[in-house]
Amino acid sequence: MTADIYKTMKANVEAVVDETPLIKTFVLKTEEAFSFQTGQFIQFTVPGEGEAPFTPSSSQFQKEYFETTIMKAGRVTGIIHSLKENDTVGIRGPLGKGYPLKEFESREILILGGGVGMAPLRSLLLTLLDEKDKYGRIVLLYGAKNPVDIVYSGQFAGWKKRGAEIYRSVDKCETDQWKEKIGVVTELFDEVKLNPSKGIAVVCGPPVMMKFGTFKLLEIGYKPENIYLSMEKNMSCGLGKCGHCALGKYFACKDGPVFKYSLIKDIGDIWD
Amino acid sequence: MKFLRKENLETFVEKMNRDSDIFYPEHNTNGSYSWARYEKGKTLSITGHRTVLPLKYFFFPPAENLKEKTGKPAIIFGARGCDVRGLQLLKKIYLDDPEDIYFRKDTLVFSADCTSCHQNCFCTVLGDEPWAEDDFDLNFSFARDGFLISAGGKKGNEILKNNSDLFEEASDSQKMEMLNARSKTKEYLRKQNEDKKINLKVCAEKAGENLDVFEKYAQTCVSCGACTNVCPACFCFFLAEGKENKIRYSDSCQYPGYARVAGGANPRRKMTPRFKHRILCKFLYRPAMQEIKGCTGCGRCISGCQGKINFRDVLLDIQAGEKR
Ligand code: SF4
Ligand code: FES
Repeated sequence: MTADIYKTMKANVEAVVDETPLIKTFVLKTEEAFSFQTGQFIQFTVPGEGEAPFTPSSSQFQKEYFETTIMKAGRVTGIIHSLKENDTVGIRGPLGKGYPLKEFESREILILGGGVGMAPLRSLLLTLLDEKDKYGRIVLLYGAKNPVDIVYSGQFAGWKKRGAEIYRSVDKCETDQWKEKIGVVTELFDEVKLNPSKGIAVVCGPPVMMKFGTFKLLEIGYKPENIYLSMEKNMSCGLGKCGHCALGKYFACKDGPVFKYSLIKDIGDIWD
Repeated sequence: MKFLRKENLETFVEKMNRDSDIFYPEHNTNGSYSWARYEKGKTLSITGHRTVLPLKYFFFPPAENLKEKTGKPAIIFGARGCDVRGLQLLKKIYLDDPEDIYFRKDTLVFSADCTSCHQNCFCTVLGDEPWAEDDFDLNFSFARDGFLISAGGKKGNEILKNNSDLFEEASDSQKMEMLNARSKTKEYLRKQNEDKKINLKVCAEKAGENLDVFEKYAQTCVSCGACTNVCPACFCFFLAEGKENKIRYSDSCQYPGYARVAGGANPRRKMTPRFKHRILCKFLYRPAMQEIKGCTGCGRCISGCQGKINFRDVLLDIQAGEKR
């Protein structure tokens, strides 16, 4: 008999890190060996309660444990947020296709992120930094609503040290504590010189930000086939069976979740 | 091709019933057909047309605890061509890499030619035949004194071999009778679909743009999901977490919350995009990705629709390229 594709593997919650008032990072150690390629996702199961899809936020080379960063947004994520150290959860995956890192080699990589969309992008960024010599410039443009909404706020300095160029913005800030850009994330494009005709751009964030981010990239000369979007869809099976994640003719869980913009640009409603 | 005399059907069914549960289309007093379990003493009949509920639920029940499969394998005796074609798509989805072990691929399909048709049947309009051409284990066609039987694979051939005492070689005149019976059914279908011509290529080309048509029909859709539930080719489900194992519930892309993500965003919050998605899934997306269309012309969606939507007419409207 072949294996049960819906079976979860047990994982232990090693640590829970508060990132923002609504976002936590869970450090998980699986019972069996587990590895993933950055960009792939997992189904996170709370036994007897439900499951929801998330992308690991740690480097794919980090093997002893992995991390996933989760925003409280509904019933299942609410239960996940109440988890404590040493609780047992379930994991299914890795699911979907990762970023085609081979195609990224020796090219300039722009990472454009918004809000909790930084979670999968952190995995990508850390993976790239682990093999920094293979790639060209690594530039991160990141925007959040308020300074308190910035995830991984203590980590940006370390990423800079490892060679990433980082520009950040917040939509608004009531106090004068914020010394960087105030405005939407696309305004950061004014501050950095990029090589759009040859570069790769990777986008992940809330739907509106993905939409305007992509339009901006196209406007400044990025090619549709060089723009990669992480499409958040309602994944259920994660295996191309249940139909929930349909994105035009694709199943985002199996054919994605990362898509070249050129592949999906003609499908209506991709930004909703 | 083999021949089974009418009077030998019961013996054959009894033999098959030893290791399998047999289901067949029982004729209801209102003229419709429902799946019934065969028991000794019942008369198994395989004439008629498609049942009210599709074949697919023998392969994945509408609500299913995903744990070890129990029960004997089933034989579906009298499955129709349309349902068998629907099954081809379901198999691609469920059995292609990675295989879903809960899909009951041990279910045997003994298809039977349609000898009548339901008023909403339009398989022939889509270019299909009112009988199964492949993907069955055995197919039963009709002649005056019995059934012509072809095997569609290893299992079917084994069954014929193991019961060879019951079968004869089919004669040419019996084959003629079978062809006559088949044309008779096709003639019924032609009559009831007179002047309805659908060119799926044209439909596929026009479907993407023709929002008017989707808007028009979406107006009466009440998102009940009846169409997807009775469709022999709809495969969508929701995977839920049970107390001890996962549970699979059949789901519908026509439900408002179907595509909603955790943060609340929903690409198909409105009815029109949902309705459009269902049609495009059947005539554009599945043909593009699985190389099989997602509609078999069984017309169950028409029978089941609470909003009185005639899906055959939806196709005709799309093809016409404007509101009719
Ligand atoms: S759609 Fe065609 S194959 Fe199906 S029941 Fe009707 S006549 Fe038979
Ligand atoms: S989540 Fe089930 S098909 Fe993609």
